[in-house]
Amino acid sequence: MAPDDKGALFPAEGGVRERVIAFLQKAISQGCFDAVLMPAKAPGTDSFAYSLIGDGQLLKNAYPLPPVMSVQGAKAISSLTRSGKGKKKIAALIRPCELRATVELFKLGQVDLENIWLISIDCPGALPLAEWAKDPKKAEDAFAEILKGGPSESIRPICQICDKFSTTGAEDLHIGVPGKEASGILLIPNSPKGEAILDCLGIAAGEDISGWKDQVDKLTGARVEKKRQAQKELEAKSKGLDKLLDTFSKCINCHNCMRVCPICYCRQCFFESDNMQFSFEDYLKRAEAAGGLRLPPDTLLFHIGRMLHMSLSCVSCGACEDACPTAIPVAQVFSLVGNRNQEAFDYIPGRSRDEPPPLRVYQEEEFEEVEQSHAAVPAKQEARDG
Amino acid sequence: MTDKKENAPVLVIGAGIAGIEASLLLANSGRKVYLIEKTSYIGGNVIKFEEVFPNMDCATCMIAPKQQELLADENIELLTLSQVEAVSGAAGDFSVKIKQKAGYIDLVNCIGCSACFDPCPVEVDNEFEEGLTKRKAVYIPCAGALPNVPVIDTENCLRFKGQDCQACQEACAFEAIDFNQQDKELELKVGAIVVATGFSMFDINKTSQYGYKKLGGVYSAMEIERICASNGPTQGQITLQSGEAPKSVAIINCVGREEKGYCSSVCCMAALKLCHFLKNKLPELKITQFYSDLCIPGKAYQQFYQKVKESGVDFIRAEVTGVSESAKELAVKYKTDEGKENTLAADMVILNPALEPGADSAKLAGMLNIPQSREGFFSEKEPDLTPVATAQDGIFIAGCAQGPKDIAETIAEAEATAGRILSRSG
Amino acid sequence: MAKRLGVYVCECGTNIADKVDIDKVLAAVSALKDVEVADRYKLLCSGDGQGYLKQSITENGLTHLVVAACSPKQHETTFMKVCEQAGLNPYLFQLVNIREQCAWVTPDGEEATDKAIRQIRAAISRVHYHTALEKKGMECNPDVLVIGGGIAGIKASQILAAPDRKVYLVEKTASLGGKTKRFSKLFVNMESGPGLIAGEIERLQKSKNIEVLTESEAEQILGFLGNFEVKVVSKAEDKEDKEQNFNVGAVVLATGFELFDAKGLPQYGYGTLDDVYTSLDFEEMNLADGPTQGKVLLKNGQPPKSAAIIHCVGRAEKGYCSKVCCLYSFKFDRMLQSQLPGVKIAHFYSDLCIPGKANQKFYEDTRESGVEFVRSAVTEIAGGDKGLTVKYETETGAKGDLAVDMVILLPAMETSSDARKFAEMLNIPQDDKGFLAEEHQLLSPVASAVEGVFVIGCARGPQSIAESIVQAEAAAGKILSALVPGRKLELEVKTSQILESFCTGCKTCIEVCPYGAITFDEDRRISVVNEVLCHGCGNCAAACPSGAARLKHFTFPQIYQELKEVLR
Repeated sequence: MAPDDKGALFPAEGGVRERVIAFLQKAISQGCFDAVLMPAKAPGTDSFAYSLIGDGQLLKNAYPLPPVMSVQGAKAISSLTRSGKGKKKIAALIRPCELRATVELFKLGQVDLENIWLISIDCPGALPLAEWAKDPKKAEDAFAEILKGGPSESIRPICQICDKFSTTGAEDLHIGVPGKEASGILLIPNSPKGEAILDCLGIAAGEDISGWKDQVDKLTGARVEKKRQAQKELEAKSKGLDKLLDTFSKCINCHNCMRVCPICYCRQCFFESDNMQFSFEDYLKRAEAAGGLRLPPDTLLFHIGRMLHMSLSCVSCGACEDACPTAIPVAQVFSLVGNRNQEAFDYIPGRSRDEPPPLRVYQEEEFEEVEQSHAAVPAKQEARDG
Repeated sequence: MTDKKENAPVLVIGAGIAGIEASLLLANSGRKVYLIEKTSYIGGNVIKFEEVFPNMDCATCMIAPKQQELLADENIELLTLSQVEAVSGAAGDFSVKIKQKAGYIDLVNCIGCSACFDPCPVEVDNEFEEGLTKRKAVYIPCAGALPNVPVIDTENCLRFKGQDCQACQEACAFEAIDFNQQDKELELKVGAIVVATGFSMFDINKTSQYGYKKLGGVYSAMEIERICASNGPTQGQITLQSGEAPKSVAIINCVGREEKGYCSSVCCMAALKLCHFLKNKLPELKITQFYSDLCIPGKAYQQFYQKVKESGVDFIRAEVTGVSESAKELAVKYKTDEGKENTLAADMVILNPALEPGADSAKLAGMLNIPQSREGFFSEKEPDLTPVATAQDGIFIAGCAQGPKDIAETIAEAEATAGRILSRSG
Repeated sequence: MAKRLGVYVCECGTNIADKVDIDKVLAAVSALKDVEVADRYKLLCSGDGQGYLKQSITENGLTHLVVAACSPKQHETTFMKVCEQAGLNPYLFQLVNIREQCAWVTPDGEEATDKAIRQIRAAISRVHYHTALEKKGMECNPDVLVIGGGIAGIKASQILAAPDRKVYLVEKTASLGGKTKRFSKLFVNMESGPGLIAGEIERLQKSKNIEVLTESEAEQILGFLGNFEVKVVSKAEDKEDKEQNFNVGAVVLATGFELFDAKGLPQYGYGTLDDVYTSLDFEEMNLADGPTQGKVLLKNGQPPKSAAIIHCVGRAEKGYCSKVCCLYSFKFDRMLQSQLPGVKIAHFYSDLCIPGKANQKFYEDTRESGVEFVRSAVTEIAGGDKGLTVKYETETGAKGDLAVDMVILLPAMETSSDARKFAEMLNIPQDDKGFLAEEHQLLSPVASAVEGVFVIGCARGPQSIAESIVQAEAAAGKILSALVPGRKLELEVKTSQILESFCTGCKTCIEVCPYGAITFDEDRRISVVNEVLCHGCGNCAAACPSGAARLKHFTFPQIYQELKEVLR
């Protein structure tokens, strides 16, 4: 799990961005890896995109923590390695939620990590994509304040309740961002590959990082509590078929949420396949039975189906919510359902590369309460609800 | 061997788990199989158990697919209510006379709907349920018995006592009750014979010290098996005659071992299974096992014993010298190896008896001209080298007909008889 | 071609008709899409009923059939046969159970009728999406590979070999006979082990259909029931390695046992004290070609005057009873007594395990011969100038010690080290004790989880010789029953398939397949189903996140259409 209370201090000047770039430039120049995959600003624009950068000089355009998550990093890694590993050593610098999604895709055979060094960084959250799109300059300035430790109410709701914004345990190297008074960034190795980077840089993990850890733990505690509250409120608003229908009534069936979701890796979505094409008479019958039928049909079914498919792997990254043109709290609902399902299997997506997805393993002892007695289920439900 | 011998039909005697397995393998190879069974149902003793050790599989669920497969197999001719009357000939060319008792039910018309049971005015003890419940004179032994066809018990049916009762016939919508049926004699030509007649339980009535059938609360293990069974007399509710659940149980092992002169192999595990089952149903139940030597051979059994022991079962290595009634409870008197005497109070006592050869073994052995062991089981040709062959070429033995054993060993022997019969190595 | 559906409701005498309003059912379904006929019959499974059904299918030119009657367990095959006789593909038929699921489960006729209508509508809706499926057969190889030339492997080979079935018997060492040939006597009849093996080898050699490969090991086995490709490498000391490749239809593993290493329990002094032996050491000592030419002697060359036999060495560590040790220990008593009249023997044991009809007498005779039985745990074996001392503690806590000349340990039996090799090579699970696991512990004791691979003798747990032979014959029975020369293997019709265009290569299906029927095509980066191995359980179809794995006859549209009508 979490690394020991030791890390290496990489001394560097400036803000978080400058310090991280300094580290990457040095690593490339020392040949620790051949290229970096990370967000960068396209020259002459305000947009951020994942870029594969091999030239240390070009890293000046890089943004380790851009104000928005325009593309989920796991999707970027997957598009790079889906059909097999390359020969070059690539360091991927991504947010913790992107890293956890990458690990999930790894388990599902959708990325090859052999020549990829996964590096995560303490994440302050991201601004809603729509807010940024209205005025990118203004958003960038606002985000710069957040990076400096300013008030963070403007970050996405899903980020505000994120309790896994720091090291996850499955990365090769984590970049810890200590307080303002620190003279650099913390490099915390979490695998032999991560240790190799430190060796290559010629620095040792001898630094006491307990101060940084305390800071992370404190914020985690606050976020857990905030999440509990927020999920309770959301549950009151969206639990049950009627409320769920209500929540998703604004859906325009654009399937953007599915397209941007890193975990939705199917080649063709079941809901867009011929399996969901029915005859005219079918629809007519349904319309007759229900007094009317919304077309295209099965909008809520799509979301429920997607939940069923991927909620065990949902890392609450918020990409779906960012992509929703009608501002449905998709990510918050999915996160709520996902957390419940994950708890049931004692599974945290992206926690470990070795932990198999729950539906792939059969444990004789699991869910005995369901098996043993049907009477026990409502009782448990009651206890939970009460 | 001639081709005729190689493809000759096979007679399997006994439709317990051994007979079923042997028949299925032989039939699947293309052989014609006659499977004869003296009762009206298939599955033998195994279907009496709610669960079987060591994995607590549901016994009836476990063997139902095999039963279904058997009934659907076109190469297998099942003859229920049938027994061997005479055998002549030699390997490859036996002639077997079979007597099939009339069941008075038309097998084609009967759909097993059970409409005939209710109107029958006769009530007698149900042997299948160890006499713990009643059945009619037209009956199936228990819910789920296969083939799902009732039988008329001529000893108790009023018609066979000269009365003009037609209650069942009137209730049947399919004209499936046929009082004109006659017992049949069949002559079967077969190349090989598999004897799979199973076991009986040692008759506890031959002992007096345990108060069996005299004291309320004293049961045989088989009675408890049926009481535990969800298709049994109490639908799996474990109660004393008073209707209350027992609070303490003593299980007495090796009942009849001394009389029989051998260890019955499976009783320790069967007792542990009962402990597991009872503890599951009644977690507060206090269970004490009286035993002399724990016989739990093989790779999987000790783990089961440890699990049961950890669930809070007491094990006392001692000889039980008597069971008597004291106040509202039973008193189990026992003596340890060191000669210490003591008494334990319990409100239920379970007697776990030895397994012995099936009742008709001697008669069948005579007809087949194969020897029996000192203990009355059918003898192997050479105990080490040919464990399923007998002194007669072409006659094989499988399962508890040969000696007490568990289900896995029984199945292996049944498969072995098929191996011997299908082998063309000469 | 236009669809023409027939819907038939069986009255089952009064069983269905009394509860379900069949006329109402027929009225509700007869106008549904493509329904050509909707009719009732008194008893469809009867001879007359089947004849009527067959005629009706033909006369009405039906393309699809729905029968509402009893449980599929009872009559699905009956009606499928009727379809075949009427020239209709039997998979274009759906049976609805309105007896057990409607008529018999409620006293309320209206409810029963309503549910029956729903279920029949669902079946009609489903059967529209059925496709004709064909039975397939596969040519199979009847030959057999037997691995391990101990008594189990020898017996299996003997019984399987035939003019139309070759057996390859592969043995790692230079000679056949396994452990048995090193047992000078066998319980309970005290026959000679080497004698028994010599007789069996002679029988084996007479067969032209057995190829014995000694000093050989199977290095690769690939395939499935009816068609395994085998690579065997022979490594005779004085010759060059020789590789042989051949095909077989089945594989029998008879890799035998080893003893628990008594050196792991230093309190017994094995390996450190003179005259402490394991059971196998003692067997060697009794062989005419053994280290003492068959004489039981102490290290100093003197015959022992007393011996202690220690049971259950390593039982606690292994966690199981090895089943045969008590019995062969009584054999040791006789071996000692016959060589050394007057020898004093004491057994230290906890529970006597002597199951079976003939064994108690063997024990009683031993006891009557003066052998002492001490129920206690041995805490230490100490050495000294005057021999060995067995220190023990009884169940009640009393301590004692006994001076003896010789100690024989009875260590637990373990599966041989080869078990793991073959478990990995053939993808057979091992149980938590390391033994090769059965397909079903009770119902299928000699088959493994991989179809066509059998496990017999001590490879699957401690066994006596008789039990090992039973299992050898049992494996032969299973093979002779399944692989008949010249007969094709009938394959499952309702198998799974993986659609390439949907498969994302996540391998989830491979992990949930209990039959090892799915492999990964590295070039195309997709999963592929082997239809020979697929049993149609549907695990993959349920687990596939991308809808690429699909089960024939249980397709998404079929299930969706069925459910939709049930839930309407």
